[in-house]
Amino acid sequence: MVYTSLIAAWQLMPANLDFAIQAPGADNRPAGKTRAANDVVIGEYFMRYDNETSALSGNWTKFRGPLHNNIIRTEDDIQIPSALYPEIWSVETGEGHASPVIFNGKVYFLDYDEKLSSDALRCFSLETGKELWRRWYRVPIKRNHGFSRTTPFIAENYIITIGPEGHVMCCDPSSGDMLWSLDMQKEYTTEVPFWYTGQCPLVDDGVLILAPAGKEVLMTGLDCLTGEILWTTPNSPAYKMSHSSVVPMSFDNHKTYVYVGIGGICGVSAGPEDTGCLLWHMNEWQPSVVAPSPVQISDNQFYMTAGYGSGGVLIELNNSGNKWSTEVLDKYKPNAGISSEQQTPIFHQGKLISVMPKDGGRLRGKLVSYSPSDLHTPLWTSAADEKFGLGPYLVINDYLFALKDDGELYVYQIESDGMTLVKKQRIMDGRDAWGPMAYADGMLIIRDAHIVKCLKII
Amino acid sequence: MAMKEDKKIKSPIERRKFIKMLGTTVAGGSILATSGLMINKFVDGEADHYWQIDPQKCTHCGRCETHCVLSMSAVKCIHANKICGYCDLCGGYYRSNVKDLNTAAENLMCPTGAIQRKFVEDPYFEYTIDEDLCNGCAKCVKGCTAFGNGSLYLQIKRDLCTDCNECEIAKVCPSDAISRVPLAQAYKLKD
Repeated sequence: MVYTSLIAAWQLMPANLDFAIQAPGADNRPAGKTRAANDVVIGEYFMRYDNETSALSGNWTKFRGPLHNNIIRTEDDIQIPSALYPEIWSVETGEGHASPVIFNGKVYFLDYDEKLSSDALRCFSLETGKELWRRWYRVPIKRNHGFSRTTPFIAENYIITIGPEGHVMCCDPSSGDMLWSLDMQKEYTTEVPFWYTGQCPLVDDGVLILAPAGKEVLMTGLDCLTGEILWTTPNSPAYKMSHSSVVPMSFDNHKTYVYVGIGGICGVSAGPEDTGCLLWHMNEWQPSVVAPSPVQISDNQFYMTAGYGSGGVLIELNNSGNKWSTEVLDKYKPNAGISSEQQTPIFHQGKLISVMPKDGGRLRGKLVSYSPSDLHTPLWTSAADEKFGLGPYLVINDYLFALKDDGELYVYQIESDGMTLVKKQRIMDGRDAWGPMAYADGMLIIRDAHIVKCLKII
Repeated sequence: MAMKEDKKIKSPIERRKFIKMLGTTVAGGSILATSGLMINKFVDGEADHYWQIDPQKCTHCGRCETHCVLSMSAVKCIHANKICGYCDLCGGYYRSNVKDLNTAAENLMCPTGAIQRKFVEDPYFEYTIDEDLCNGCAKCVKGCTAFGNGSLYLQIKRDLCTDCNECEIAKVCPSDAISRVPLAQAYKLKD
């Protein structure tokens, strides 16, 4: 009886209406300033955490290092100790593969914060790993083998990034101040590739070279300090954007920007008289997915590779009365010669060095070395258990540092007839350690999909 | 008989009286000693110590909300305006992966709507905390620290804290961030 009365009283009790509804518009945001989900304002937010000066002067300024070849010669005394390389610092990142640049004691990389759905250019102290500032903007995207991809380009007065959705951002590297921005999808109707933009910015003599490969424009040059468009190359071959980056080369003393798009390979003049002119293009080799970038191997030849069954190709250029022609000297499947799925091979001392792709037959995943004169017979291969997956590699003096994509670092002494393993060290229980490494001032920066680490190797 | 009476007179103090006197002396001494210690404690300033959170040690675990003896925790979120970025896209204000940047309840990190903001100028917003609504859950603090510069942080409000001898939150704090600090050091403000 008592319980029944209590339940009845509870049911009859008037509902508490003393609450407020939390609805849109409570922050008096002006009517015209409403933000939609995909309303991207590049470089909109900035946060400074600390100020720090450094006496360090080493630089790793762009994708594949200062000379664009993933090779660095330094007077630093690179050590191969029996003990472990000490870890100087470590920072967690959003899932991704974007590689850092290093400039005068600071490390910069483009991150993606999944909680805020934002691209973020983050600046750290090289010596301590302390975050100094970050500039970010909201760009909601879905995870697709991580988010971040590209390596920035840095110089004294600017740092330029390209985000996964093709957002170009230029900032002051010291203050983090925003200089200018560009949305390649909006400006050039670029169709961003399935695994997001992998193209790293190239700067040549103060001019940013982009390959938006949109409806009208194949390639363009912009003033790095202002973002002003200086020249454009019409997309007459109708290429689409790949994950590959534009590479400066010189053929027959003619500076050329070489780009491998979806649809073919082209060369755009970088010479002073005809900058931006499409010199040549070819479609005899056109993989559906391209991640590596082309590698010049002689005055008139370059090598190109791609994954997913594409293999490799050797191309020769001929100049006759300012008319350029291309010739495919060699073309083969990945199980028939040197290839790569993701990393760009290194051309070092007359030999091509690569990690073979998963469809590379018996050499699958191995580190290999080939002569450009015979792209089918390896000069040297790593041992059966030395397989690197999609991991990165670079050359410092006479050592090759290769990272297995599970986070184990291998160091090889490069010799005339091959390489000798001199050290290996587990750096992390890594997952998808695909991002390229960077080196300056004795510090080797390594990353997997979630962590960036700094090792001291001198 | 006379001899017996003489013996009684010669005794300086009765046994029972002696024990009683001894007990009184011990009890009085204890009271004096305790009082002395307490006076000493006050002289040393112990009475001016209060439970406070060190924001540098706090890991925003959420136990401040659930372990305070009060029904509504005495721990509140404090906002250091001077170091706030005034961002529209604030990691302490919005939940992860929100679709739209507006003040609808489903977009907000704070479960009680204690964080309010007002438009200042594009793209800046000024944030304030409604202490009556804040339950000290630290969700906003975690979001701010992860992406911002930590202008949102937790602190024990002296006017709400019952100053328990043994703070129930301090007992479970995983980072030993809660301790008694002198009044002069209380409210470790970030700005």
